[in-house]
Order: sequence, then C-alpha cells, then structure tokens
Amino acid sequence: MMNRLLLLLFGASATVLMFGLWIPFKALVAQELLALAWAETQARQVEARPWPWADTWPVARLELPELGVSMIVLEGLHGESLAFGPGRMVAGEQGPVILAGHRDTHFRPLEHLEQGHRVQLQGQDQQWQQYQVTGTRVVDSRTESIDTSTFGPDTLLLVTCYPFDALDANGPLRFVVEAKPVNRPVQKDTVAAL
Amino acid sequence: MLLSLLANPAVRADLYPQTTRTPRPLISKRRWLRCAEGVSLWLAVMLMLFVHPLYAEASDRQAGQAEEAGQLYLVDSQGNRQQPALVLDSEFQVRVSGLLADTTLTREFRNTSDSWHEGIFVFPLPEQAAVFGLTMTVGERRIVGRIEPRAEARETYEKAKSAGQHAATLEQQRPNLFTSRVANIPPGETVRVEVRYQQPVSYRHGEFELRLPTTLTPRYMPGEPVVEAATQWQSGWATATTQVPDAAEISPFTVRAADVDERSHRARIELAIESGFPLAGVTSPSHSLVTEADGGRVVVRPEGREVLMDRDLIVRWRPLTGREPTAAVFHQQWQGEDFLMAMILPPDVTGPVLRRELLFVIDTSGSMAGESIVQARSALLKGLDSLRPGDYFNVIQFNSQAHSLFARPVPAEGHYLARARQYVEGLNANGGTEMAGALSLAMAMEPAPAEGLVQQMVFITDGAVGNESALFDRIRTGLGERRMFTVGIGSAPNMHFLREAARWGRGEFTAVHNTGEVNRALNGLFAAMEAPVMSDLTVRWPTGGNPVEAVPARPGDLFQGSPLVQVVRGVPAGGELEVSGRLPGGRPWNTRLDLGNAAPASGLNRQWARGRIDELLDAARLQGEAPDEPAIVALSVQHGVMSPFTSFVAVEEQPARPAEAKLDTEAVPTLLPAGSRDGMLRYPQTATAWPLLAALGLSGLMLALAMLLLNRRPA
Repeated sequence: MMNRLLLLLFGASATVLMFGLWIPFKALVAQELLALAWAETQARQVEARPWPWADTWPVARLELPELGVSMIVLEGLHGESLAFGPGRMVAGEQGPVILAGHRDTHFRPLEHLEQGHRVQLQGQDQQWQQYQVTGTRVVDSRTESIDTSTFGPDTLLLVTCYPFDALDANGPLRFVVEAKPVNRPVQKDTVAAL
Repeated sequence: MLLSLLANPAVRADLYPQTTRTPRPLISKRRWLRCAEGVSLWLAVMLMLFVHPLYAEASDRQAGQAEEAGQLYLVDSQGNRQQPALVLDSEFQVRVSGLLADTTLTREFRNTSDSWHEGIFVFPLPEQAAVFGLTMTVGERRIVGRIEPRAEARETYEKAKSAGQHAATLEQQRPNLFTSRVANIPPGETVRVEVRYQQPVSYRHGEFELRLPTTLTPRYMPGEPVVEAATQWQSGWATATTQVPDAAEISPFTVRAADVDERSHRARIELAIESGFPLAGVTSPSHSLVTEADGGRVVVRPEGREVLMDRDLIVRWRPLTGREPTAAVFHQQWQGEDFLMAMILPPDVTGPVLRRELLFVIDTSGSMAGESIVQARSALLKGLDSLRPGDYFNVIQFNSQAHSLFARPVPAEGHYLARARQYVEGLNANGGTEMAGALSLAMAMEPAPAEGLVQQMVFITDGAVGNESALFDRIRTGLGERRMFTVGIGSAPNMHFLREAARWGRGEFTAVHNTGEVNRALNGLFAAMEAPVMSDLTVRWPTGGNPVEAVPARPGDLFQGSPLVQVVRGVPAGGELEVSGRLPGGRPWNTRLDLGNAAPASGLNRQWARGRIDELLDAARLQGEAPDEPAIVALSVQHGVMSPFTSFVAVEEQPARPAEAKLDTEAVPTLLPAGSRDGMLRYPQTATAWPLLAALGLSGLMLALAMLLLNRRPA
C-alpha cells in the first residue's frame, strides 16, 4: 500500500517536473528552429514560418550586447508566440514597438539590463537599429495599461513579468524597459574588418 | 529541516547496523539505498539552489525598487501598497411611465479601511439622461444637493473636503459620462449617494427599449500628449492630449471583475413599467429577466440578486400586436407653465428602390478586441449581403491608420463581393482609434463611376474615443450629400457618439449587443437605409401666434419605424397639432393630433430644459463659437437639470473628520466590459508556470524519496 502511494507520488512529481522542464526546453529548441526560419526570411524577404503549423513567424533579431544575449523575435503577443520567443507588437504608426517575453525563459536577462545599455534590433531588411536603455520601471498591470500615445513611434519597450523569481505565473506586476534609438551610424564588426 | 536531516550522515550511520540483520538482500538493498540517498542529496541541493534565490533576491529587489516604482502604484503615505479601500454598491430603481423613464441610482461607498477616504468614481449614464437630483446620506442624515455653476460647485466641495465635512458632488464630463466625488467617508462606514435622472424611452419598430449603462469601454485619446503637472482633480490613466484635454477625467482605470472586492461593483436593478397598454412580452439581450405583472404595472428584475456591472442592461417591451401606439400626447403644468410632449409615428411606406453607393467603415482598434470584432465582422458581412445589383460599395477599416479595400467604390458583383468577404473575415482588432483619418478617407474617396447613386456610409464602431466633439464637426462639415448610419458594437458602447454621429450625419443608429443580435439590429437599420420615410417635416403647434419653443426645434428626416417626438413649452393642452411632410416619391402627407386628451405626466419640463440646452450647444457648434454659457446655466438652475456647465453638490454643515486625521483619495475603477479582450490596453502575460511546476515536481520527488528512506528503515 505504502509502496503504491510512494510510486504514485514519485510518478506524479516526476510528471510535474517534466512538464515544468518542457517549457524552457521548448523555448530553447524553438530558438534554434527560429534562427533557421529567420535566415530564410532574410534571404527570401518573405515571412517564413518556422514550422508548417506555426501561427507566428520571426520578425526581428534582438541583441543585448552587454549581456551577450541574442534571440529571434516573433510576431504577436499571444501565448503561442511567447512560448517560443519574445513577441513583437507594433502599436500603430504612432505607437512604440513593444517586445514582450517570459521572465523565466527568454527575457530572464532583462533583470540585469541597466540604463545606458545597448539594445539592437535587426529587421527583415537586415538593418540593425541601435537603441539605448533610457530607464526601467515596474508597473502594476491591474491599474496601468500601455498608453501608446505617451511614447514616440521610435521607442522600444521590452516587457516582462516581475519579480523575476516569483513562482506565481499570473502576478500583476510587469517590468518595463524603455529604450530610445541612438542615431549614430551602425558600426558592424564585419564592416570594420573589411 | 527534513531535507538536511536526510542528508545528514548521522542518520545514515544508524541505518547501516540495522540493515545488516538480513544478510541476503544486503548488497542490493544497501546499494539501492545508497543510490537513493545520492539522488535525494542531489535533489536537495537542486531544490536549495532553486528555492533560495526566490526569497533572497525577491525581497532584496522589491525593497530596492519600491520607491522607484512608487508613482505607478497606489501608495499611501507610509509607502505601503494601497489595497482598494472602497467597496461600491449600486442600485437602480427605474420607473417607466409613458415615454419617460425616471431612475433613482443609489451608490454606496463603503470604506473598509481604518483611515478617512475620498472616493472618486467615473461612471456612465444614458446619453440622453437629464440628471435632476443628488442626495447624500450619511448614517441617518440626508443632505439634498443643489445645482451650482461648475467652478463654484468644485470650490464648495473642495472647501468642505478640507474642512472635514461630508460632501458629495456630481460633474458632467460628457453627456453620458459623469464623475462623482464623495469626501470624508469615515473609516468602516458607508456614505450613500443618490442620483436621480430621467431619460426618454426609445420606441422603434414597434418596440420600446431602455438601456442602462453600467460601465464604459476604455477610450482612445488621439493627439499628442500634453505634458503638464497632474492636477488634484485628475483621476484617470490617460494623460491630456492636444485633442482630448480632459483625457484624465474620462479614463477611469478599468479592471477585471476578479480584481475588485467580491462584493464590489455589483448592482441591484429593478424596473417598473407602467406603459398604459397591455404588453406582449419583456425581453433583454443582455441579461435574463424575472418579470412580474401586477395589473397595468410590470416589474422587471435581472435574474439573481445582483448583477455584475460589466455590461449595459437592455430591456425591451412590446405592446400586443395591433395595440402599438401610433400617437401620444402628454401634458404637465410646472410653475404655472404648460409643457407638452407629443409622439407621432409616420405610416410605413416603401419608396422606389434606389441605387446606392455604400461605404462600410469598420473600427478595428484595440478596444474592439474580443467579442466586439466578431460582432463587427458579422455586421459588415450582413451589410455586404444587403447589397443589390447596381449598387456600388467599398470597405474601409481603421485603427491607427485607415485603409480602404478598393481605391474607389466598386460594383456589388460576384468577385468584388467575394474579395470583400475574404477581407472582412481576416480583420483583427489592434492599435489606436484614429477616427478622423477614417472619416477623411471616406469623405475624400472618389465617387463611383455611375450617375444618380444615393451616397451612404455605415460606420461600425464601439465609439471608444475621447474626441467626440471634434468628430461631430468633421461629420457635419465634410459629409456633403452622404448620410451616415452608425452601428454600435460591444457590451458597453459609447452611445452618445453613436447617436450624435448619426444625427449630424442625417442618418440612423443601431446597436448590436451580442453576436446573436446582429440580424435583428441590422435588418432594422438596412430597412431604414432604403429611404427616409418622411422628409421636409413641419410641425405646427396651436400657439395662438406666440413664438413656439419646441425641442428639437427642427426635427430631421424620419426613418422607417421611428416616431417624431417633440416637447414644447407654453402651449396649453388644447387645440390641434398639425404635422406635415413629404413621403418617399414626393407625395405630401399630413396628420392632426388632438391635444385636448393629453395624458398627465411629470418631468416634461426637465425634458424640455435638457433639449433646450442641447439646442444651445448645437447652435454654438453650427456657428463655430463658444456656447452661450450664462443662458445654459440659467436654464439648468431654473429646471434643476445638470448641464456641462453646472454640477450638483451636497455638503453637510457639521465637520465630521477631526482636523488631525488624514484623508486618502481613491479612484474607484470601472469593470472591463464583458466579452472585451484587453488587447493593447493591458500588459501581456509574461511568465510561464515552469518555475512553479519544477519546484512542485522537485519537492514532490524529495518527499517521495524521504518517505521511501523512512519506510525502508525497519522498525
């Protein structure tokens, strides 16, 4: 009897753990597949879906040079796209570019982002846009919404959940990084080498 | 800690001698145990690594960042996160008699905290409401509010607030949006604010309808933000923009029902309908109703004791077939003056079939996300179905920008229609609500290459914008020959925008409450769009030569199924009212109505005053100048009806709050309308359950191993 109970507990825990670990595993593997789709997107200038049944596609590459992080950004902020990479939403012509990601997978490094750090975003046209972090703040999503009119169209917002180590996935706090474009010419390493 | 106990060598030490008693399974068992210990040790280490930073870092960071984030939280003076202190209770008591509905709306602000509070609540009222009373009740004391010019009322209220007196005020932000403030709610006590208003009942297509809004769709504020210091009267999430200077006052925080106290934001609603004719039935597309008939009086309640304030309550009632009224007159004497209200329904006639150029404009902004965009799409598809050969059409969608499907209107033929259907089915809601751009695009569009087309526009939206007034100007000046018809979408549309846009666009409006209602609502609208039933209306009251003061002074064209309703001052209940006009096809029509047998009514003077104030505001708009404020204030004070320039204020004489006690201010949020998805308006969900799952799994494994080890230990 005891053994059965134990076995049950053991099995259940292992299953839960497996389900838990499946999420970061998926996030990790998906980025590899996305990198391929992104390369195709750039080469053919079309929206290449990373796998045939995907309802999202890569739209940009995001780099945080100070933290040594690089990842592919997907279209849309729905749960489906956030599971595989940060999602992008353009809040209209006048609104900012908003990237949101899970605090426990892709956007974990945001924790270490500080004012003055660089953020680079590469669009479909292969052009890198340089941004600089102008500030971070914590907002309560129950009482504050993204008022797109208060940001310029060139602003980049990175949004993730807060606090970074909380267990509750439905917490109301969000960590928002605001970045403004830097207008100096892009110095790519490859260009410098040539 | 159990984990360290298991990992402790001392525990292990006394495991060995006991296991030696049974020699045969010794080797395998010991190995098994050692293996289990090893695994459990590792698991323990992993768990420690995992759990430790949760506490250490989280507490660390929160302490460090609380101040930085301070301005965005509701924080009290000690820097603690403020929990909502005020619980809001609402009760609507509606009495419908004749063509007017008289509502007593009681709001209870219950202070659940142990400090004194000021409550601010921005809430919607029906767009045609004439507010005529404010009463504040604190404990046993009732204080009747009086009407004052807006600035004076604010001053009176502020003075009372700082003096510690109980005070309440009600201000009009939009014809359908009001702010109530209640100062000095004692800790643990309740202040009750009673608002009285009346509204005309809509009577269309043989059916009466009453709409009670309970919440509002968060509005989009176009324009560039104006940076300025927050004033003390500011209470919303939006900042002022160049186009909506009062954005902060019309943008209450919107929360999900789960985010407020479980007793808050519930309303008890009761309608007593005294129609004067037998009813065939009372229905509602928004709530299920409980109906009790009591002689000529029908009492209607939504099912359940209380309803959540997350959608408009719509109640419709229909007279028995054949008993639908086609004319009615009501009379009231007020302060020695006669007031009359007359309703006349023109005959149903169908004119010649016209060829039309129809522009469908659909709102695909973020506020439409969720149920609304589904309704809007099916409304538009229904509109496409109503096109006949010979008609021309185009589809324009707008959010932050406007986009038209075709460069110019195209004939309503197979492949164009197929493309339009495909386009409509692919529409998604996202982004801002730049309505002016959509109107410009529609107005500047090249006309269809055909002669003699009737130009019409169908505008499908929830009206969630803050710059209504500028849009009305745009519609009035730019529409030309085109008529504009509006279709309201969602569970809390901005009916003020929909009604007024249709009025300035010389068209009609309708509202779809849920997806099942699309057919019903649009059939009526499309029938109306076939042709106005009556144009060139002239109404002659028996005034005996005196100038007549009727509202609306110049009634517009009447559409199928809609009556003419006019309220007049200074005409006694006698003689005959003469109405004439032109039917479709140019035939003249006229009718007479005997005013002698007018039914007695009340509130007509207020209806007239509200109509008169609207006329003055319209006149100012037409001339492009500032409204005649003194005249509006005078009307408003005389008849006790609120206006944009007057507010109600109630102040208790005796101060209640001790001078040393501090007063906190709390803006009570409104609920997100049912069926609407937050879309752009909210931050996305950006955490997964994996840390929780992993922690659960790990601790479960630990527990299992611990139990296993203890179990293996023979007694």
